[in-house]
Amino acid sequence: MTSTTTTKGVLSPRKKKASLPWSGLMFWIIIAIWMIPVAWLVLMSIRPSADILAGLEIIPSRITFDGYITFLSKDIWYGAYLNSLTYSTLNTVMSVTVALPAAYAFSRFSFAGDKHLFFWLLTNRMAPAAVFLLPFFNMYKAVGLFDTNLGVAIAHMLFNVPLAVWILEGFISGIPREVDETAAIDGYSLPRFFIKIFLPMIRSGIGVTAFFCFMFSWVELLIARTITSTEAKPISAAMTRTVTSGGLDWTLLSTAGVMTILPGILAIWFVRKYIAKGFALGRV
Amino acid sequence: MAEIRLENLGHSYDGGTTYALNPLNLTWKDGNAIALLGPSGCGKTTLLNIISGLITPSSGRVYFDGVDVTESDTARRNVAQVFQFPVLYDTMTVSQNLAFPLKNRGISKDEISKRIAEVAELLDLTKYLDERPLRLRSDLQQLVSLGRGLVRKDVPAILFDEPLTVIDQNFKWTLRGRLKELHRVTKHTLVYVTHDQTEALTFADEVVVLNEGSVVQSGSSADLFLQPEHEFVGFFIGSPGMNFLNASITNGLVVLNNQEIGSAKSFGGQNLDSGSVRIGVRPEFLTISNSNGLPVQIDRVENRGGYQLAHFELAGSKTIAKLSNETKVASGQSANLVFDQERTYLFRESQLCGRLVSKVS
Repeated sequence: MTSTTTTKGVLSPRKKKASLPWSGLMFWIIIAIWMIPVAWLVLMSIRPSADILAGLEIIPSRITFDGYITFLSKDIWYGAYLNSLTYSTLNTVMSVTVALPAAYAFSRFSFAGDKHLFFWLLTNRMAPAAVFLLPFFNMYKAVGLFDTNLGVAIAHMLFNVPLAVWILEGFISGIPREVDETAAIDGYSLPRFFIKIFLPMIRSGIGVTAFFCFMFSWVELLIARTITSTEAKPISAAMTRTVTSGGLDWTLLSTAGVMTILPGILAIWFVRKYIAKGFALGRV
Repeated sequence: MAEIRLENLGHSYDGGTTYALNPLNLTWKDGNAIALLGPSGCGKTTLLNIISGLITPSSGRVYFDGVDVTESDTARRNVAQVFQFPVLYDTMTVSQNLAFPLKNRGISKDEISKRIAEVAELLDLTKYLDERPLRLRSDLQQLVSLGRGLVRKDVPAILFDEPLTVIDQNFKWTLRGRLKELHRVTKHTLVYVTHDQTEALTFADEVVVLNEGSVVQSGSSADLFLQPEHEFVGFFIGSPGMNFLNASITNGLVVLNNQEIGSAKSFGGQNLDSGSVRIGVRPEFLTISNSNGLPVQIDRVENRGGYQLAHFELAGSKTIAKLSNETKVASGQSANLVFDQERTYLFRESQLCGRLVSKVS
């Protein structure tokens, strides 16, 4: 708490930065450029397929919500959507739960090979996901995890646990060891201290970590598609398997796209303040 | 409240290659205020953490009131410790922070609120009780930390690890006074780590001076000042520190600058063996006289308001005499230096070995 508390305790007015001319206008131009694909997607999702293929049309002449209705009523769509939500959430919970004690250990204790192990966590992320497809497929078939949400969640932990440990370690190291020592002197055992004092103190770090775990799990396609078939099919896989004999339903596909973006927007909205803190610690 | 006894206590962070704290024996009386004084890295915080149980010593035992607590964990030892920086839980209010050390020990709600009220009163924190500690100034935060240390009544000792470092200079005096008052009222055994000699000397009944992992001297403020047992104590305590002059002993006589200046006596009264020796004398115990004494050439006189400091070179060492304002002395003048009979000491291998009984006095 050394630096954070003292600087926050003293109420000093924030130094005003010089503002660039036209900054307001530039901001909106940049946003507009970035938003073009997203806006395009949203517009496509409310236009009939025929119109989409007919030609360029900035303002839609006909509006339809068929895409959304189909998406929310057809089992193959909302089922896949729920699958993705389920395994991403499950993965987030499991990754953070596993990573918290690990990050605490890396931050507070020295043990044989701790530095190498910590670095190795990062190198874990260097292998392309495709490398692990075969072992996962074969292994899951053998132990009965194939085509289950739990299976996908566990597979994604391969990437997310190292990341979570890495991020959390930064946040934990930002809290002075004296906090732990004081709690020990106050008569708190390590588990009680961890739950009652420590977790609330690093809640922003946990928020950021959870966000990243969720996002990586949510957008990951390759592994999720390979180790599922029907029961736990993820939304991204459902989207790639919609080329039917009747051709492509553009509206429905765009709708799925919009729905897939939504959780990301929600997640980032909730942790937007903490993300900045995470960047400041250099671990995100 | 307990007597603390340390027996052959030593600690090494690297399995015995180097010792952060060399084995030592100390006994601190119940209810005393003890200061551990020394420069950074001398092992004082290690010693404190061993007493509180955060570190298990590599060797030796720790006794509280004769009971061996070396293997007990921090919770069982029940000591309170205040760190250099405020350690507060920012998810709780000030009063919840104060209640925290009590809550875990099955104390009734009424008793807890009574204790909090008392401590808040004592530290002048009553109006901040419902605030979040993060909103307070850093010195107030440290006061809350102090409060957490004081809130338990039954602790054998309260340990302070340089608690006033973050406190504003003006406020330091007030706070130190308050600590002293607290000690008088509560009669807790207080152990106080600091590198500030004024803080240690004013606060403690007993000052333990540490250097490079060893206790060099332990005693009252007056002992440390008047009769330092180690060159380090002479140099570290006092402002300016003790003067040291290289000399030698031949046939029981001290020779400085090829001049016999007195006889070398051990504290038992015997003559000391011949060989090299260092004379140690505090600037306070040097005077100049017009008639007789050791002739010196004054380089520079520095007036400090209440007294003046005369700088000169003697036997190749820069020497300072602290003189009263009435003494007439000027830069460039020659003077006769007189050593105080009682307070001029001889050191060998940095240890006090005897006294200079001066001829020129």
